[in-house]
Formats: sequence, C-alpha cells, structure tokens
Amino acid sequence: MSQEVYEVTIWARGVFQDMEGRHATLLMANAADLGGKFVQAWDDYADLPDRVGVPLRKYVRLADEEIEMRFVYVNNNPSLVVLMDDTIVKGMNILRGMPQGGSLVVNTKRTPDEILAFIPNKELLANIVCVDASGLAADTAIDFMGSEGGVEVAAVGAGISAPLVGAAAKVCDRFTIENVVKVASNKSAAQAGFDAAQVKAL
Amino acid sequence: MAKEVFYSGCAAAAYGAKDARVEVISSYPIRPYTGIMMELSKLVANGELDAEFVLGEGEHAQVSIAYGASAAGARAYTGSSGVGVVYAMECYSPAAGGRLPCQMAIADRALDPPGDFGSEHTDVMSARDQGWIMGWAESPQEVYDNTIMYYRIGEDHRVQLPQFCCQDGYFVSHIPGKMQMEDQKAVDDFLPPYNPPHPLNPKKPINHGPQIFPDQGSAINVQRAVAFDDIEAVISEVVTDYNKAFGRKYSPFVDEYMMDDADIAFFIQGGHARTARYAVNHLRKKGVKAGVSRLRFMRPFPTEAVAASLSKVKAVGVIETNTSYGGVTRGGNIAPEARAACYNLDNRPIITSFMAGLGGEIVTLNEFYAMAKVLSDAVKSGKANNSYWMNFEKEVLDTHK
Repeated sequence: MSQEVYEVTIWARGVFQDMEGRHATLLMANAADLGGKFVQAWDDYADLPDRVGVPLRKYVRLADEEIEMRFVYVNNNPSLVVLMDDTIVKGMNILRGMPQGGSLVVNTKRTPDEILAFIPNKELLANIVCVDASGLAADTAIDFMGSEGGVEVAAVGAGISAPLVGAAAKVCDRFTIENVVKVASNKSAAQAGFDAAQVKAL
Repeated sequence: MAKEVFYSGCAAAAYGAKDARVEVISSYPIRPYTGIMMELSKLVANGELDAEFVLGEGEHAQVSIAYGASAAGARAYTGSSGVGVVYAMECYSPAAGGRLPCQMAIADRALDPPGDFGSEHTDVMSARDQGWIMGWAESPQEVYDNTIMYYRIGEDHRVQLPQFCCQDGYFVSHIPGKMQMEDQKAVDDFLPPYNPPHPLNPKKPINHGPQIFPDQGSAINVQRAVAFDDIEAVISEVVTDYNKAFGRKYSPFVDEYMMDDADIAFFIQGGHARTARYAVNHLRKKGVKAGVSRLRFMRPFPTEAVAASLSKVKAVGVIETNTSYGGVTRGGNIAPEARAACYNLDNRPIITSFMAGLGGEIVTLNEFYAMAKVLSDAVKSGKANNSYWMNFEKEVLDTHK
C-alpha cells in the first residue's frame, strides 16, 4: 500500500550554491504545483548549516495525490538527480538508490560522455542532460547568512537554477517547461536552458 | 489581503509574530528554531516590523529579557530549542508567577547525550509544570495561527500567563507547506494591543518577584493555579473567534479524526498526527476501526475534553515523542495524564504509552500499523503493557514480520 512518489535530489556546493540549490527545488515544485501535482520541497536537515564548498542535498517530491509520508529526512530513491556543480560527480555516489531508468541533469560545459566517464553506476540511467547553466544565467544568487528554515527574500529563479530546471524539463514529464518559465523570475534563462540542453539517451 | 504562501514552520512562526505586532524580541541561536529569529531579524532590519531586537548572551538571558519587556508592558517574543530550552529553566516560573504573558516559540529538539538535532518533545515538556500555556502545532499553518491565538489567550486578564508555542523541530519547522497568511487589519481586529494590568512605571512603582516569607508562598501559588481554572473558557472563546474570523476549523482542545465509531485510537500531539491520519485511512480499508485524537494543549491539560474523546474507544495508544524515565508507565508523560483524565469514567479504555518518534526518528506508517495491532490485541485480551518501546519490543517487532 505504499504510494507512488517521484523523488528528485539536487546536489549543490555549500554556501555559494546553497540558495541556488534551494531555488531549484522551489522552481521545480512550483512548476509541478501549477501543473496540478502535490509537491514537497525541502533542504537536507543534516547538511545544514552548511560550510563553504561541501556537497549539499536538496529534495523535491512530486505525486498525483496528497503525499502521505511527508516527514522523511532524505529521498532514498531519486528518479531524477540534478548537479549544480559538475565536480560533484567525483567521489560521490550521486545515483545511490536510483531506480532503473532514471535521469541525471548536470550544470557543465562538458559533454554527456565526459561526465559519464566519472559515473560507475551509469547503467541506472535512461538519459543524461548536460547544460551550461552558469553560462546561461545572468548571475548566481548567494545568501551568506544562510536561510535554514526561513523564507526566500530573493526572487526565485533569477540565477543558475532557472536554466538548470529548464533543462530538467526536457527529460522529466512531471512538470513542463511552460510552467517552469511561468514561475521563474528569469524566464528567458529558463527557456534557454531547455533549448540548449544536450540530451543523451542511454 | 490574506495570501497563500509556501512557508516552513519557522517562517510561519516569524510571520505570526510579525502579524501579532510583537514589540520586543530576544534571540540566541540554536537549531532548529533559529530560522524564526533569522526571519524576524530581516523583517526588523527591512523596516517591516517595528520591534526591539535584543541579542541575549544565552537562553537564560533571552527569557529574562522577554520577562523584563513583558513586565514593562511590551508584547514580548522569544524562543529556543532542545538544550537551550532547559538552560533557561530557572526563568520559567518567575515569568508565570509574575503573570507576564510573553511568548516563547519552541521548535523542539532532542536533549543530549549525544548531540542529536532531531525532534523530540522532552525539552519543553520538562517545563510543563511551571505555569506556562503549552501546545503543539501540526503544520506551518497551525504554527502561524497558534502564535496569534496564544497571545490573545495569555494576555486575557482572566489568564495572564506566558505561552510555549511549540512545533516539531525539522518535521514542522523545516519542511515548508502551503499556508494562508491573514490580512494585517483582520489580525489587528482579532488581537488588540496588549493592555498590561500592572506595567512597570517609574511614576507608579511596583515590585516584581520580591523575597517573601515562606508562609506567604502558597497564596502566590494558588493565584497561578486559579488562572488555570478560567483558562479553558478563554481558550474556547479565542479558538471560536479565530475560526470565525479566518475560516479555520480547530477544535479548542482535541482534534478528532474518525473517532465516532472507532474501537482503537492514537492519542498524539504535534506533526506526526498527520501520518497517523493516513495510517487510519489504510487501517479502515482493512476493517480496523481506528481513529486519531490529537491533543492541541498539553497545558492546560484539557481533562474533560480528553476524557470525552478517549471514552469513545476501547484501547488508546499514546504516541509519546517524549520521555519520562522511571515514570508511571515507564514510557512518556502523556499517557499518565490521559489515564488520570479517564479515571472517573465508568468504562475506562486501556491506555498505553507508545515510545515512538524519539530523537527525531520518523514514525512511519508501518509503525502505526504495528501500534494498531498491539491495540487490537489489547481490545481482545483486555490488557496491555504499560508502555511499548516501539521497534525494540519482541511483540512489536513480530508484527513487522
């Protein structure tokens, strides 16, 4: 009787990507919410308060009905993994728990094949998406104060989260690029991420 | 205008305090409640909230600052978590005994050892007998609503008591949910400015907390006790008014879910009540008549409302999320009170402590099914253990097989 919940894990670097990581979760959740999904978006409790450069996890959960088990700490079985920084592929089992046929979206200037070389368990993936989100975004939102448990004061989706989530819409059918564009504050960057995304089916 | 937002419990508390127009805020950081103060500091710095923001050098100072501000006639706000809550323990009785209705936001956290940052109610439950109002919210929405309602309850001249406005750390404080923030004008209408009966005033000096002779003590104590005689009527009024003003559906004391025809019940406070309701939905599909009775106030303990609710069923499992080592049930603090509330009933239900959700452990649907099995067996056999440490008892583990 367990419920079907689609899990997304977003990895970011501590402090300088903490806010963008959270913005990515909010963008995705807001876009899916607009499409009628039930959503949950939150930060990993154990990864915060963060330190500069440490890998951070942020989570999104999407479902067609009210999510029953809201109180969890992590997404154990993410079908979609998003990396805000391509160096996170090194030394970290980013696909741990992924069900067969998942997707990986990476903010990188590199090609899918270059990234795949660093992923030992790539057979779990149905596809990989590479997008230079940092190049497509005007800037990166940084909050040196941290905002654990707080509210976003900055506009959501002004920085690299917009093109990155736009690119994710190319392989994830739980939210649409139209709705990502609607909820992102930098709409052209969200669309540009979608358009520039290199998808490689595996 | 009221507006829908996607906020964590921390943000909900901060915006509740803002809409309650708190005048003095005292802060000292500790996870997970810190988010509340971070939000409030931003609101003060941005000029959206006109309040004094004072940094204490520790929780003892924090509560002392709120105490002093409240004595001076301000609407005072503070908060803490875990070890911070117990560090300030000395200050709780003076604030209640001085009848100063300051509010303390609690995002609860397990006490050491070891240094655990998960949710557990034991921290502030340790202060439950100091004369403060105390209750848990189950969602960011209820955090916001309680923050506003508690001030009106505490500041009522029939009550005049401080309040612990509690939420589960992380589960409620950190996982955002959709909630409605109300129009400031409507909140102002509901919660008028604090009208202190005896504010500190140099032109009309009064004394707070002087030394007294021992034989004067009981007269002071009885006044604090009498405040709890009137409080249930005040809470009912305030909750009814709030429901009317903002379209909510809170029961004043006990929120019931599928209790009317239930045989067994989960008695619970805080966020895990949400999971309990989904567990009940699934149990009902399997023919198990389960219900949820959610406690909204631990202090005052709503004796009659609890007895009325629990008398509907044959067996009650109290999901404790707090510890009382060596206590009556060798479990938590709530089951003994629930048992005492039901003592005068002709057909008392079996009441047992389920020790679950300790240290921030997730209370899963499977765990609720295991509890339901224990309760159903208790209905058949007519008896149950005083307490079950979930996931450590053989008979509980057997139900997982």
